Amino acid sequence: MMEALKCLYAGFRGFDEAGSAVPMMDGPLKPNTALDEAPVVLRLPEIDNLTATPAGLVASQGAGLLRLRSAGGALDAAEQQVFSSEISCLAADASGALAVGLDGQGIAIQGGRHDGLQIKEVNGTVLRAPTAALFLDPDTLIVANGSAEYMTTDWKRDLMNRRSSGSVWRIALGGKGREATQLARNLAFPYGVAVGAGGLLVAEAWRHRVVALDLAAAKPPRAVLSDLPAYPARIAPASGGGFWLALFAPRNQLVEFVLREEDYRRRMVATIDPAYWIAPSLSSGASFLEPIQGGARKKLNMLKPWSPSWSYGLVVRCDANMRAVASFHSRADGSLHGVTSLAESAGALFVGAKGSGAIARLQEQDARS
Amino acid sequence: MSSDTLTRIRYRYLPDHLIGEILSKRWIDNAVPFLALVVLVAVFGIIAPGFLSVSSITDLGRQVAEFGLIVLGLSIVLMSGGIDLSVASVFTLAVLASLIGTNVEGFSVGLTAIGVVFLGVVCGSINGYLIGYMRLRAFLTTLVTLIIFRSIYDILFLRMSTAIVASFSDSDFLFFIGSGTILGIPFSLWVTLIIAVGWHIVLSRMRPGWRLTAVGGARRSAYNAGISVRRTVFFAYVWSGALSALAGFLFAARIGSTGADTGVGLEVSALTAAVLGGNSLGGGRGSVAKAAMGALFVLILSNNLTNFGVSGPVNSTILGCVLISSVFIDMRWLRNRHKWLSKIYVSPAYLQLPPPPSATDANSPYALNDKLRSVEIIGLGQIDGPEDVILDRDDNLYCGTRHGDIVRFFGPDHKRHEVFAHIGGHPLGMQFDRDGNLLVCIGGMGLYKVTPQKEVIKLTDETNRSFLSVVDDSRLRLADDLDIAPDGRVYFSEATIRYEQEEWATDALESRGNGRMICYDPRTGTTKTEIHRRVFPNGVCMANDGVSFLFAESWIATINRYYFDGPKKGTIETVISNLPGYPDNINRASDGNYWAALLGMRTPALDLALSMPGFRRRMARRVAPDLWLYPNINTGCVVKFDEQGNILDALWDLGGQNHPMITSMREHKGYLYLGGVSNNRIGRYKLPDADPNWTAQDFYWGREGSSRT
Repeated sequence: MMEALKCLYAGFRGFDEAGSAVPMMDGPLKPNTALDEAPVVLRLPEIDNLTATPAGLVASQGAGLLRLRSAGGALDAAEQQVFSSEISCLAADASGALAVGLDGQGIAIQGGRHDGLQIKEVNGTVLRAPTAALFLDPDTLIVANGSAEYMTTDWKRDLMNRRSSGSVWRIALGGKGREATQLARNLAFPYGVAVGAGGLLVAEAWRHRVVALDLAAAKPPRAVLSDLPAYPARIAPASGGGFWLALFAPRNQLVEFVLREEDYRRRMVATIDPAYWIAPSLSSGASFLEPIQGGARKKLNMLKPWSPSWSYGLVVRCDANMRAVASFHSRADGSLHGVTSLAESAGALFVGAKGSGAIARLQEQDARS
Repeated sequence: MSSDTLTRIRYRYLPDHLIGEILSKRWIDNAVPFLALVVLVAVFGIIAPGFLSVSSITDLGRQVAEFGLIVLGLSIVLMSGGIDLSVASVFTLAVLASLIGTNVEGFSVGLTAIGVVFLGVVCGSINGYLIGYMRLRAFLTTLVTLIIFRSIYDILFLRMSTAIVASFSDSDFLFFIGSGTILGIPFSLWVTLIIAVGWHIVLSRMRPGWRLTAVGGARRSAYNAGISVRRTVFFAYVWSGALSALAGFLFAARIGSTGADTGVGLEVSALTAAVLGGNSLGGGRGSVAKAAMGALFVLILSNNLTNFGVSGPVNSTILGCVLISSVFIDMRWLRNRHKWLSKIYVSPAYLQLPPPPSATDANSPYALNDKLRSVEIIGLGQIDGPEDVILDRDDNLYCGTRHGDIVRFFGPDHKRHEVFAHIGGHPLGMQFDRDGNLLVCIGGMGLYKVTPQKEVIKLTDETNRSFLSVVDDSRLRLADDLDIAPDGRVYFSEATIRYEQEEWATDALESRGNGRMICYDPRTGTTKTEIHRRVFPNGVCMANDGVSFLFAESWIATINRYYFDGPKKGTIETVISNLPGYPDNINRASDGNYWAALLGMRTPALDLALSMPGFRRRMARRVAPDLWLYPNINTGCVVKFDEQGNILDALWDLGGQNHPMITSMREHKGYLYLGGVSNNRIGRYKLPDADPNWTAQDFYWGREGSSRT
């Protein structure tokens, strides 16, 4: 009751209700151009799910699984296999098994002990949007299901419809997928998983935070990194301890405002192509049908780096407690936007920017705080 | 959709933009004291018997006359940034001097009046000299002179009281001043009214008043602006002293006696009245109306409290509380008014546009291409904001810049340039008249003419004020584009009357008919608004029939044709509606058709928001302006169309690499020259099959500049 009254008063006075202000990029998240300066090693439209395996880097492009090989200073891509649906996540274990998330169709295991296993649903829940997976051991797989309603490609609808129907599962592969534990539910688009000191770390995109879950049973999630200025995606362990966190799109005060404007949001979702919504995006500026904000108007033919933007490139280096220590940016005028996946290999971090369709190589000493 | 209909009706008939306009008026400061006064009169009118009777009002009128003069004098000092606590002492001294003059010494009434006012001038001069020229603190100085003047009164009163009581004046004129009426209004009130009206005119309409306000508002700036600060301050105190003395004379004429307690505590009442009316203690803000309202309020309150038997000390306490609360309200008001204003000034209207035609479809007349990506660039980095470009017969290229210059690039290669004329405002639309003069619309300034000899002449900067407008719409705020009829009449557009040059795009958030078409007639030198309430009227171009012109309404993506002469005189026809972008300047093409620039493209998200004014209003209140949804002006294009509204050609630069926005284009000898209001360059595009000898001047005005037939 008090909350409702407060909300009403805040609406009347035009205050910001809780959680709608967008945090500044400051401290360890202070903007720089490190991502734009990093050398691009491969240009590949729609590159996603960059993953380190014992046999080298793999990645996906649409429904195609690619094996990446080092070729001089750059990378070389070779298509290995084409799946029936867009690949939405990849996970490798030390023995060479690969878990392939297929958008709308669940998980397929390739190689290793459980080669050929297909997991379409667990405990009656369809894995419609497998956004992230992780082998705890060769027989145990963690799977994040981003949304119970929308496929991964429809992530914008999931956000703009204000859904929080994601779940995280621990699946015993030996039981043919039937022995599964739900570690968390009602998450707002879990998009990345990693094992850390506090348990299982999960990037909860629409709540702009990383939470820690218990590895064995369902317990309330505990926020370990919150109030992020962008939507988090995959988490990759860093060789020097700690983690790399990819953030795929910036938060924007106008988007937060639209999220609270029921009527407008509903009509926008119902009548407009998602590419032209007031919503975060993996890449922007390609079409004149995209909305723009006052600060993004070009002056003297320049888009200012600090312009408000629907897309952004951001990689954050976190310590073992998931505290941000350094960050790498591609700002509004940059060219490496929409980073969804990261993988460390041969002493360098490879940054997969799905929005810009490029993989860049980042050395740790480039870190700036 | 019924909810949409309701929204449309609500936004059409409830003009909420007026709230912001009213809040932006200077006189809105009077709203709070005026309401307080109305409430007070209503309350005492109900509870006090005889409050509204003629005798009561006449008596009140006499008191207001005297008290009002003191409050006016004090307000003048407050406006100059000072304070005068000695008004009551001067008043008392003047009462004594008047009685001595008329009763004891038997001077004539006129001589006494002049002498008393002179006494006030002397007292005020002492204050003014000490504060204005010696730079002493106003508060302390006038506190000291308050004590000194009062002491002089006490000394003189002791000596003269017997003489004053013993004699009295039998002058009828003095009696008339004290008790007579003209047309039912007390004589003294007439005096005060005349002085008040005079001061109102001085303060609101004349230089001395503006200087006074300037000194009070920002002393240093006033000094830097060349105002004699010391003299202005000095005369403020002189006026305060003179008006207080005049009040004392009127008081003496009415009462005919004085006592030990005459004028005690009057400075507090006067200060309460001045501040209550809304005269700022900090200086720079005040008016005669405020002083009058404050004086009325305080008098009505204290008189009625006395009538109700409230004792003097309690009465003073109440007045003190009123003073404190009015200072508090004044402070809150001052601090918050501009916040409220900035939150509510943007007031969107309902606008439902049909879905725009697709430009991505290859069969569309607007089909996308990259023709403009290869344009040659002229003046890169040398100009800022060439909204419009124009060429003369000698191939020289003219454009305006944000620095307030008209820059001329010398033909035929346009490598060298010079500042052709410096005007001061951002030049927008341009056109050559029959004699080769360059007529130009200047944002924020009006319509100007630059002769070939570089002489700058103002043609007009105001039009007739509309009858019911709240903001003063007679001044031209954003004159945008013009064209000249064959008979010499200049038709130009004013895009919006609610926003300044730099905020023009914010008008898109409102999408209301804030703009108008205006006609300047050089034969009579008159300016008249021809078409009211158009949505961001922009480009103007004479049609080939010579009796009509085309003009764009940007935010509703429409190009209209208006007949100013001929059989269809006064009618408006729509030529093109539902363009995929926002049309800006329109100019003639060599094949008899027209070019139009689209300054930006429509986006589905904004089109939807246009039909939801409540959404935009909340956005303007809650989201930072740099993050508001704007029309996409990062991509522009040029279209060619005919008088029937058919689109004949479209020229694009996708991604806006060469020309992020195009606000104007001008065809000249086979080339199209492109300008953009936030660009740092001019583009030149070779038209594949245009007449290489065609110039707009020869086409419109004839080869020798002779009349077109």
